Amino acid sequence: MISQTGMTRRRVAGLAFAGAAGLALPWGIRRGIAAEPIKIGMPLALTGPLGSVGQQLKRGGEAWAKVQNAEGGLLGRQIQLLIEDTAGNPADCVRKAQEMVERDGCNIFTGITLSSEALAVVPKLDEWNAIFVSSDNGDGKLTAGALVPNFFRANISAPMGARAVSLYLRQSKFEKFYAIGMDYAWGHSSVGVFESEIKHANKNLVGSVFSPIGTKDFSTYITKIREAGADALYIVMAGDDFNAFLGQAAQYQLPEKVQMLTEQMELSLLRAVGDAALGLVGSTRYCFTLDNPKNRAFVALWQKEHNTVPDTFEGEQWQALQVLAAGIEKAKSTDTAQLRAALETVAIDDIKGPVAMRKCDHQAVQGGFMVKAVKQEGTAHPVPEIIATYPGDKTTPPCNKETFED
Amino acid sequence: MLALAPLLFAPYTMTLLTEALILGLFAMSLDLMIGYTRLISFGHAAAYGFGAYACGWLLLHTALPMLVAIPVAALLAGMLAIGVAWVCTQATGVSFSMLTLAFAQLLYAVAYKWTSITGGSDGLAGIPRRPGPFGLRLFGTRDGFYYLVVIVLLAAFVFCRALVRSPFGAVLRGIRENEPKTLALGYNTRVYKIAVVALSYALGAFAGALYAPFAGFANTELLFWLLSGQVVIMVIVGGAGTLVGPILGAAFFLTVEHQLSNYTEAWALFFGLMFIAFVIFAPEGIWGLVTARRAREYADGTPRTR
Amino acid sequence: MGGQSGQPVTLLAFFVTQSLNALSQAALLFFLGVGLTLIFGIMRIVNFAHGTFYMLGAFIGYTAERVTGSFWISLLVAPFAVGLVGALFELGILRRLYRRDASAFLMVTFGLALVLGEVIRLAWGPDALQVETPPALSGIVLLAGEPFPVYRLFLPGAGTLVALALWQFLERTRLGLLIRATSQNAEMVHALGTDVNLVRSAVFGIGCGLAGIGGVMAAPLVTASIGMAATVIIDAFVIVIIGGMGSFLGSLIAAVLVAFVQVFGEYYLPDLALAFMYLIMLLVLVVRPGGLLGKEA
Repeated sequence: MISQTGMTRRRVAGLAFAGAAGLALPWGIRRGIAAEPIKIGMPLALTGPLGSVGQQLKRGGEAWAKVQNAEGGLLGRQIQLLIEDTAGNPADCVRKAQEMVERDGCNIFTGITLSSEALAVVPKLDEWNAIFVSSDNGDGKLTAGALVPNFFRANISAPMGARAVSLYLRQSKFEKFYAIGMDYAWGHSSVGVFESEIKHANKNLVGSVFSPIGTKDFSTYITKIREAGADALYIVMAGDDFNAFLGQAAQYQLPEKVQMLTEQMELSLLRAVGDAALGLVGSTRYCFTLDNPKNRAFVALWQKEHNTVPDTFEGEQWQALQVLAAGIEKAKSTDTAQLRAALETVAIDDIKGPVAMRKCDHQAVQGGFMVKAVKQEGTAHPVPEIIATYPGDKTTPPCNKETFED
Repeated sequence: MLALAPLLFAPYTMTLLTEALILGLFAMSLDLMIGYTRLISFGHAAAYGFGAYACGWLLLHTALPMLVAIPVAALLAGMLAIGVAWVCTQATGVSFSMLTLAFAQLLYAVAYKWTSITGGSDGLAGIPRRPGPFGLRLFGTRDGFYYLVVIVLLAAFVFCRALVRSPFGAVLRGIRENEPKTLALGYNTRVYKIAVVALSYALGAFAGALYAPFAGFANTELLFWLLSGQVVIMVIVGGAGTLVGPILGAAFFLTVEHQLSNYTEAWALFFGLMFIAFVIFAPEGIWGLVTARRAREYADGTPRTR
Repeated sequence: MGGQSGQPVTLLAFFVTQSLNALSQAALLFFLGVGLTLIFGIMRIVNFAHGTFYMLGAFIGYTAERVTGSFWISLLVAPFAVGLVGALFELGILRRLYRRDASAFLMVTFGLALVLGEVIRLAWGPDALQVETPPALSGIVLLAGEPFPVYRLFLPGAGTLVALALWQFLERTRLGLLIRATSQNAEMVHALGTDVNLVRSAVFGIGCGLAGIGGVMAAPLVTASIGMAATVIIDAFVIVIIGGMGSFLGSLIAAVLVAFVQVFGEYYLPDLALAFMYLIMLLVLVVRPGGLLGKEA
C-alpha cells in the first residue's frame, strides 16, 4: 500500500511538473527565429521602491527608439526594446536578462536600475557574450574593482557626482561640513569620496551619520546635524528617504542655518517636496535646463510627447542609447566583439555636451553640473538652475579608481 | 521524468526549472515546521540567506570545492539554528512566528551592515562553481547543476518522508494536533520542536547554499521578510503537510511570477487575486487539486481531523 | 552637545525636545498598531494588508486635500473611505473563511496587500506625492531657542484624542460593548441575537480606518509614496507583538516605548538604528512571550 502510493505520487508529481514546464515549452521553441531588428534588453525595476526610476528609464528608452525607428533605425534595422519588470530584485534581473539572451537572441543591455542588479549581471556578460551600456548605475566599483570588458558606463557615476560637489565647494565660503547618507553601499562610498575631497580642499568634515534605509522619522538626525554646528550639509540620499528628510528638515527650518548639498538632484525629488527643497544645491546627472541646441531639441520633443519636461534618468537613458548608437554605427555591426571595440573609443556631442568613452575603464568622460533649486514662475515646484559646469577631465576619477588624487 | 528535462527544454527554461527546484527544497523544509508541527515561521528566509552567504563566502575565500561548501554551509546553519530554535520555542503561536521574524530581520540588518564579510547591500558576486573533489567537474555545467539539484531534492524528500513516518514524526503530529496532551503523555515537546526547527533551517540553508553557486551571487534580498512570506505562501498554496505540495507550490509561484511579470507591470494585481482565489476555491492547495482527493489523509497516512 | 550659536543646550532642553520628537513618532506607531491589535484581538486575523490600508489613507488624503483644499476635511474623509474598503473586503472575502484555518486569513490578506498595493500604484502613479501641512500647523515654536515644528506637537495631541475616543467608544457605546463581548465569546453574542457578522465588519473597518488615519497624518512628514506599506507593516507587527496581541493599552505603551528607544538610541548609537525595534521585541518576547499586556502565551 505504502510503496504503491509512493510510486503513484511520484509519477503524478512528475506529470505535474511536466505540465507546468510544458507551459513554458512554446517559449523554448521560439528561440532562433529571425533576429533582424536590433534587440536591446531592458530588464527594469518598473515596480517596487525604485519603480519611478525604472519608469523614467523606460520612457527615455521608448522615446529614443521611436525617434530612431521613424528615421529608419540603425544600420537599416529597426530597434526593438525588450522591457520587463524585475521589481528591483537582482535574482529576477539576472533571470530575465538570461532569458532575453537565450530566448530572444539579445546581446545588448541597458537600463538595469539598481547597482545590486548590475553587480549581479556583470559577471555573466562574458558567458552570455553580451554588452551592457549602463544609463543609471553609479556604483564606483563597476568601473574599478568589478569592471568586466563588456561593461560600459555612459552615465555620470557616484564619484563623479560627488566630485562636482566638492569642486564647487572649494570655491565656496563654507568651511565646516557634516554628511548624512543612507546606510548602504552607495551612501558610504559617496560620503567616503566627499570626505577625502574635503581633506584635499583643506576644509573640515565635522561629522557624519548614516540612516537605515526606510527611515521615516529624521528628527534625531536633524538634531545631530544642528548640534554639529556645520555651515553646510552633504546629503547622500535618494527616493522616499530623501523626500522625508528634506521635508522634515524644512519643518525644523534647518536649511536656514545650514546649506543643503546633495550628490544627486532630480525633478521627482523637487516635485515630491516642493518648496522644502528651495535653496538645495547639488550635482545632477542630467537636467532639462542644460543649455545647448541638442538638449533644447530633446526637451521640445519631450514636451510634445509627454507634456512635461524630461527628468534626470530620462535624459541619462537617452544619452546612453546615443552612445550605444554611435558605437553600433562605428562598428557597422551589433556583433559583440566588434561593438565592444567600437564602444571603447566612441565619442559624441549630445544633450549633455561632449561625451567620450575612456578605453582603460569604460567610463564615459563627460562634464559635471551643479544646480540649485529655485522658484520659477508658473511651475508648482522648484526647478534646477545651472550654477556651475566642470569639464569632464576634472570630474572623472583616474582610471579604475573610485577616488581622486588631489 | 525530471531526468529527461534537459533534453526537452531550452537552456533558460532549464535555469528556471533549476531555480524552481531549489525553491522547492526551501519550501519543503518549511513544510516540516508548518505542515507537520504547526509552527508557522515568518523568518525562514534567514535559513536560505544564511546558507547562500555561507556557501558563497566559502567558495570565494577558501579553496573548498562546491560539493563540499554546500553541505558545510547547511551544517553550519543547522548548528546555529539550534540556538535560534531554543529562543523561539520559548513562545508559541503568533509570538513564535514573530520571534522567527525578529531573528530574520536581525540577520538582515547584520548582513546589510557587515560589508567586509557580506558585501553589504551589494552582496557577494562572482561566486564560482569550483570543481572537485578529485577534479569532478560534472556538476558545474548548467545541466550538471540541474542534476545535482534534482539529486539533492530527491534525497531530501526521501529523508523527510522517512522522518515524518517515523516515531519522531508521530510526536510532531501530536504536537500539531494537541500539544498539551502530547506533553501529558510524557514527551518533552520542547526538545522535539527545537529539533524540527533546527532540521528545517538546515534543509532551508541547504537550498540557499545551492542557490549561491547556481546564481553566482548572494544578496540581502535573500534574507528579507518578503521572501519569508513568499515561502509560507508556497507551502500553503502547494498544500501544507504533504512534502510534495510545497515543491509544486514553489515551482508554481516562480513560474507564474516570472511569466506574469514578462507580460505586464501590474502582475502583482493578478498574483494577489490568484492567491485569494486559491484560498477560497482550493483550500488544500495544488497538491489537493492534483490528487483530486479532498485530502482526507496527511502524506504519512494519518487521517486529517479538520 | 552644542547649539547652533555655540551656546550649550541644557540637558533638560535636550530631553524635552527629543521626548517631543519621540511622542510624535509614538503617535504614528500607535495609529498603526491599535488597528492591527483590534483586528487580531477580536477576529484572530493577522492582517498583512494593514500597511497597505495605511498607504491608502495617505493617498486618499492627498486627493481629498487637492480637491477640497483642506487638510482637515481630508482627515475626516480618508479614514472613512479606507474603513469602508476594509469593511467591504471583510464582507466579500473574509466572511467566507471564518470556519477555516488561520493560514487562510494569512494568505488572503497577503493577496489583498498585493492587489490593493497595485491598485494604488495604477491609480496614483509610482511617484511620491507631496502633502502639505495645513497652514494652521505649518509654523514652528521655539524650544530652548531652537525651532520645533508645530505639526509634531499636533501629532501626539491627535494621537491622545483618538486613543481617548476609541477607549470611550469601546467602554461606553453599545457597539463597543458588542465588540468586546465578541472577542470574549462570539457564540454567546450570536445566541443573544446580535448579528456577529456585522460586528466583525465593523471591527475590520474600524481597524483599517485607524490605519488610514495614520497614513493621512504621516503624509505631511514622509509624502504619500508607494513604498510606504512595505516599510510600516513590520513596524505595525512589532508594536502589536510587544504590546500584546489584542491589547489596546498594550499597543499604546509599546508605541511609546519603541519610539523613545529609537529616538534616544539613534542619537547615542546610530549604528544600531536598524536593530532597535527587533531587539526590544526579542527581549519582550523572551521575558513575556505574550507581549507586555497580552493574554495569550
